[in-house]
Amino acid sequence: MDNELTALGIIFTEFYYWVTVVFMFLIHVGFCMYEVGASRYKNHTHTLMKNTMLIPLVTVTFFFFGWWIYFAFVNGPWIIGPLVDAPFATPWSELMGTHMGNAAIQDTLTVDDTAFWARINGVFWAAFLLFSWTAASIVSGAVIERIRPSAFWILAVVIGSFTWIIDASWGWSWNGWMVQKLGYHDAYASGVIHAIAGGFALGVLLILGPRIGKFAADGTPRNINPHNPWLVTIGLFLIYTGFWGFYVACNIPIIDVYGASMLDVADKTFFSATNIYLQPTTLSAITFNFLMSLSGGLMVAYIVSNGDAFWTYSGGLAGVIGASSGNDLYHPIQAMLIGGGGAFIAYKMHYWVENKFKIDDAVGAVAVHGYAGFYGVCMAGFMLWGYPSSPFEGYAPITPWGNFIGALIMFFVLGFFPALIVSKILHAFGMLRIPREIEMVGLDINHESLRTREAEEVAQAIRAEAGSGA
Amino acid sequence: MSTGLVDNWLNLDTFGPVYPFVGTEGILAFVGIASWIVWHIWQIRKENAEFKEDIENINKQGGPGKVLDDEARRELKDKAG
Repeated sequence: MDNELTALGIIFTEFYYWVTVVFMFLIHVGFCMYEVGASRYKNHTHTLMKNTMLIPLVTVTFFFFGWWIYFAFVNGPWIIGPLVDAPFATPWSELMGTHMGNAAIQDTLTVDDTAFWARINGVFWAAFLLFSWTAASIVSGAVIERIRPSAFWILAVVIGSFTWIIDASWGWSWNGWMVQKLGYHDAYASGVIHAIAGGFALGVLLILGPRIGKFAADGTPRNINPHNPWLVTIGLFLIYTGFWGFYVACNIPIIDVYGASMLDVADKTFFSATNIYLQPTTLSAITFNFLMSLSGGLMVAYIVSNGDAFWTYSGGLAGVIGASSGNDLYHPIQAMLIGGGGAFIAYKMHYWVENKFKIDDAVGAVAVHGYAGFYGVCMAGFMLWGYPSSPFEGYAPITPWGNFIGALIMFFVLGFFPALIVSKILHAFGMLRIPREIEMVGLDINHESLRTREAEEVAQAIRAEAGSGA
Repeated sequence: MSTGLVDNWLNLDTFGPVYPFVGTEGILAFVGIASWIVWHIWQIRKENAEFKEDIENINKQGGPGKVLDDEARRELKDKAG
């Protein structure tokens, strides 16, 4: 970087993504609070550890192969073309370490690779990684109190570092085959994160089964209420907060849309933020739409759930998720109405599926993320019908059928079926569900017994010190 | 003498990778991936042992029903002060 303007552009971009990562960390804090609040006292430690330990496991695997998949799989591979070289994203690439952007040592890297990726690689990787955590964390809530931590962590790696990043490569990159051939548009990840995670959770739940006591002998569902509804709602508030970072991380902050590496229109310059498809948008637009879709979701959820705090908060989230596919382009009032639809569908579908199929989705994750995300992708197909899906020539335009097929791919092909297969294998080896006796008394039996013994020892010591004869 | 390619900052405008032991990236990737797999194996073994011990403890106390009854009695006692 030998001039101030270039340096400012690069370092601003670096800093921009870094800030999004810090914000998105709050999503995970929120999910942890939410799950601990929703679980019963006897399972707290294991519930917290289950969600916490996905952080290192998804992080290291995303370093080892997730990041490379994003760039290498844009053609399928072998759907519209072969694997794509991505030498800057392999775990042995020098650009995956501290780098000043000049001469490369590895001969697979070009001068352009080093100049572009040296400062952006880590922060861009981390922004995607935090999405990976979110995808895995969505699944975590649905399966609380009966999944083996070891099984969950394997499943977390499958969705966090494998299937979700394949869907991002296909439908959430400027040159993914779904964008090129289907005109798939999902700017803030209704399908790319939420539908896939909801579908994945459903696939696991189908094999895992409900918590003991969830359904009466005649199949009537019982409510297992959160032990601490306030922790749950504050957790959801934190998820909203982290969602700001999520939205901003979906954009590219500053780019010359007419520049040489873009549209390449002679004698024109147009600097703008863009979405991941390199289509211009503004932070202002997504701020309007985030808040309006959140509001639409909260308003509808409050009405349909009769003011239930858990569902009102969840409905706010479903509102944002329902509108996220097109929130780069919608009018704010459209975002509000579509968001309201997302909350309605999440609430109604949750109880319909629970009653009909006896699925115990402990926190409504399949509904809020899966069904609302699926709906969001489909709505964008209708609302943005005929819009270009990309600034580049030759790409299919956005259509209802393109986005519908995309939603099916997200929810079923990359979410539901991989989860079903992996869960089935884990189940066959007796590795999916915790033993029945332990589920009944609680996963934390050892921790709790130890804590009780220690507390009694201390109390006895204090009584002895005080000369109490008791 | 330096463990990396940097022994001064005078030619910063020519620098590429600046971490130590440049050239060992392949070995580092292998060690990292192996550590991840070993962690899972170790954790699964530990979890199996923990569950086995938990079940033995539960059975020693008379089964899950008895454990839950005792817990409920303890809670009542605590509440009563």
